[in-house]
Amino acid sequence: MEISAIRFEALKEIGNIGSGHAATSLSNMLQTRIDMSVPKVWLVPLEKMGEALGEMDANRVALYLKVEGEASGKALFVLPIPSAEGIAKNLLWMEEPPDIFHDEMAQSALREVGNILVSSFVIALTQFSGIQLQPSVPALAVDMIGAMIDSVLLEDGRVDDNVLIIDTKLSGLDDIEGKFLFIPDEGSLDKIFGVFGI
Amino acid sequence: MSTTLVVGMADYKIGRTPDKLMTAGLGSCIGICVFDLYAQIGSMGHIMLPSSRENMKGNPAKYADTCLEIMLEELFRLAGNRLRLQAKIAGGAQMFSFNGKAPLLKIGERNAEAVQQELKKAGIPLLSYDVGGTHGRTINFDLKTGNLHIRTINHGEKVI
Repeated sequence: MEISAIRFEALKEIGNIGSGHAATSLSNMLQTRIDMSVPKVWLVPLEKMGEALGEMDANRVALYLKVEGEASGKALFVLPIPSAEGIAKNLLWMEEPPDIFHDEMAQSALREVGNILVSSFVIALTQFSGIQLQPSVPALAVDMIGAMIDSVLLEDGRVDDNVLIIDTKLSGLDDIEGKFLFIPDEGSLDKIFGVFGI
Repeated sequence: MSTTLVVGMADYKIGRTPDKLMTAGLGSCIGICVFDLYAQIGSMGHIMLPSSRENMKGNPAKYADTCLEIMLEELFRLAGNRLRLQAKIAGGAQMFSFNGKAPLLKIGERNAEAVQQELKKAGIPLLSYDVGGTHGRTINFDLKTGNLHIRTINHGEKVI
């Protein structure tokens, strides 16, 4: 798979529009300012995944939703543990941050965060492009980032040698930080590029 | 001096004592270690899918069958004896479930079955394994002792 410069720019624009809406939703939910980085678009060979994502055994919370429709893909919101616990504390009006490994209320609150972020991303994309998309129910895991990513990549029983990732960093006060990742399925790219007429 | 060779996804490496081989963050993937303790040489592969037959595309180290084939070929060339080769494996977890339901394909489980079958077919004894569950694993293989050290986030550490 090769992707021309103009197509990279188009994918960055997808990241900008979708993640921008996701960041606004997160900001509304938490009643705090959320900053968004310029999206990065990676075409990563599988064996170099560690270089794109950082340490593969770093402990993270991942919220994962499948995006189904005319340009299907996989959406993930990945957070460091303290950040996930801080968000749950804020949403549930708790005195102390919860233990995300065991607190089911906190896990449920975070799944809802995943739901809202990915829904905003998808709605923005649909409004912009006319491509019909629907997110699945959210799943949550707390584990090594590499382990969670490989499961997501392999879920359909096939994986390309190079994986395309649209990666946007969201950050805010109180150490809130996370990565919003969108991994379009291989067949979806033509549909996306078609919208831009490229 | 001892070096740790890092094995990426869909990748394999060959090492000799005192080197160590490691791969970080195995989820549904499997880490396969095949080694010859007498010659003090071994290989670690990080496979992602059970069989190249279903989808013959791309990097052969991605699939259980073709990755093992390459590892065995190289080890045989370097160590000269297929009969001394032994194996240990880890991985094959299922990290996510949706509303309590497991995904349709259960790739982790199928990977674990496929690797065990391929080892059997090649006549390589599987000395020990740690597969399945719902947690990630980082594995470190010591070519000198044949010990496979497994680290997890919430399920302790062990040596198999």
